[in-house]
Amino acid sequence: MKLLLRYPLPLDEMPYTAEVILETGAKINIDRATRDELIVDVPGDDVEHVAELFREKGVEVRKLLKLITWDEERCIHCGACISVCPTRVFTFNPSWNINLEEEKCVRCEICVKACPLSALACVE
Amino acid sequence: MADTMTEKSIEEINERIEDGSVRVVTADRMSEIVSELGAEEAAKEVDVVTTGTFGPMCSSGVFLNFGHADPPIKMQRVWLNDVEAYAGIAAVDAYLGATQLSEEKGLNYGGGYVIEDLVAGKPIDMRAAGYVTDCYPRKDLETTITLEDLNQAIMVNPRNAYQRYASATNSTDRTLYTYMGTLLPNYRNVNYSGAGALSPLYNDPDFETIGVGTRIFLCGAGGYVVGMGTQHDPIHRFGTLMVTGNLKEMNPEFLKGATFHGYGVTLYVGIGIPIPILNERMAKKTAISDADVVTDVIDYGVGRRERPVLRTVTYEELKSGMIELGGKEVPTSPLSSFFMANKVADELTSRIEQGEFFLSPQVERLSRDTVVKPMKQPELPLVKDVMIREVKTVDDRASIAEAAKLMMESQSTHIPVLSGDGKLAGMVTAWDISTAVAKRHEELSEIMTKKVITAGLEEPLELVIRKMERSNISALPVIDDERRVIGMVSSDEISKLIGKRKKWQWKLRI
Ligand code: SF4
Ligand code: SF4
Repeated sequence: MKLLLRYPLPLDEMPYTAEVILETGAKINIDRATRDELIVDVPGDDVEHVAELFREKGVEVRKLLKLITWDEERCIHCGACISVCPTRVFTFNPSWNINLEEEKCVRCEICVKACPLSALACVE
Repeated sequence: MADTMTEKSIEEINERIEDGSVRVVTADRMSEIVSELGAEEAAKEVDVVTTGTFGPMCSSGVFLNFGHADPPIKMQRVWLNDVEAYAGIAAVDAYLGATQLSEEKGLNYGGGYVIEDLVAGKPIDMRAAGYVTDCYPRKDLETTITLEDLNQAIMVNPRNAYQRYASATNSTDRTLYTYMGTLLPNYRNVNYSGAGALSPLYNDPDFETIGVGTRIFLCGAGGYVVGMGTQHDPIHRFGTLMVTGNLKEMNPEFLKGATFHGYGVTLYVGIGIPIPILNERMAKKTAISDADVVTDVIDYGVGRRERPVLRTVTYEELKSGMIELGGKEVPTSPLSSFFMANKVADELTSRIEQGEFFLSPQVERLSRDTVVKPMKQPELPLVKDVMIREVKTVDDRASIAEAAKLMMESQSTHIPVLSGDGKLAGMVTAWDISTAVAKRHEELSEIMTKKVITAGLEEPLELVIRKMERSNISALPVIDDERRVIGMVSSDEISKLIGKRKKWQWKLRI
């Protein structure tokens, strides 16, 4: 499961992720990092423990079930979102309608701008 | 030869539509049928091939008649949901173009959206302004209208249904936002448009059946081909159509306002054209597959009219999702929708089968020799027209003090830094020097800008100005193919020259 972490101070001054990995032994993958925000992928069994440790350190933790929203009504299945996505969230089905694997998303927001129909948005 | 062929007439096909015996297939199935049965048999078996396309078609719009106000107004300007329509036609007629932007919301709303909102039955705020005459005493008005309130709403799209379209990629190191979508830096994606083998004009490339007066499916309504579209370029297989249809009969499913980020607003238009299989020849022509439709991959990183062609590619390759570009596999994205294009063709098929849609013979064939000319314009000012050729440069092993001294002597705030082999290594500005002093740096190479924005001798100044604006710089070095510095251009020199030439300037208020 993906967790969105918001740090009280800029990331580079806070080695929290490393500490949590050491303390829990969980296989935490960093999907995406900005100066004060981090998206990490945590194996299901470790989620609760990891989230708790981060919270103890003053980090705001949110479980991300979905990083992007897709307005299926608005979507025309053009596919403009396909080639820009770094993690291949979008693919065509055999009948040329679009298929989303939302769990692959790292919330880079590129597809949001690329969608001509404004059918994609990032979860705040 | 013609007499040995199966020849059908449009009347015969229409009779079959009437009595329900007509045989219709979509264009994507025709290549299979012809390879199985042969063209002669296929021409006997199939009466109509339906084509379809659903893509962003900027050159689209609607004529609207609002009816007369009381007291009457002669509208000179009119806005619909804050999007201006052209009102220089009589008193209460206007033409709303798909790409016109909202004055409030800019790139996020515009003509394409107003057209979609009208078709969806939504209320539209209208403002109009005119001048007073004896017959039109009113100066301005404000009201709310819906599609129903209009006398006529007639879609007339000057250039639709491009036979095929070039595909786009980007050689530069920044993301480009274009009418060909988001183009990632360093050739990381390729975007394309058009319906491939389902494309109406590609199935009738010599315009034997599609012509003036051909009845078509336009955004859910019945419509017609008016004639060749603007920029019709049949010789290069870039034919286009001007089409018309009644907006009041359209279905919002088949027309969508859209925004290409950083480019602007457009309208997705769904067009379906039936092709009567009058003979073996038409059966053969409609048997094309995606592998037969070839187009160019073009570098949109070059901001000129003639952009470099990197390779040719078929729609089959593009539709596979990956193409090879410069030794790498690059992902592709369509901008038009195959899903919706199929839906258009299927809908047209079922209307013909149900006896709701009849074919019409062309009244006149489309031109097969029209050529597309570039715009006539005065000669473009180039970098070489304004660049300073006497440029003081400094070696990258020089000290900061030496660079500062050179700046003082040459009275210039930007000095190119050269590496040992005489090539451009960086730039140092007066600002860099003051920072260096404040931070006590010693080495020139520590403070110079290494990622230098440069210009070429033959580059239009217009593009150099864009570079300067984008990076917020006021001067840049002109280099040759070997990265040797041959001059400098500065915004001062440019504005002197441009200022002399330009008689007017326009600013978009968004
Ligand atoms: S770019 Fe937008 S409209 Fe096109 S397929 Fe993706 S989500 Fe749908
Ligand atoms: S935000 Fe969009 S482009 Fe980025 S990873 Fe998620 S789905 Fe892909």
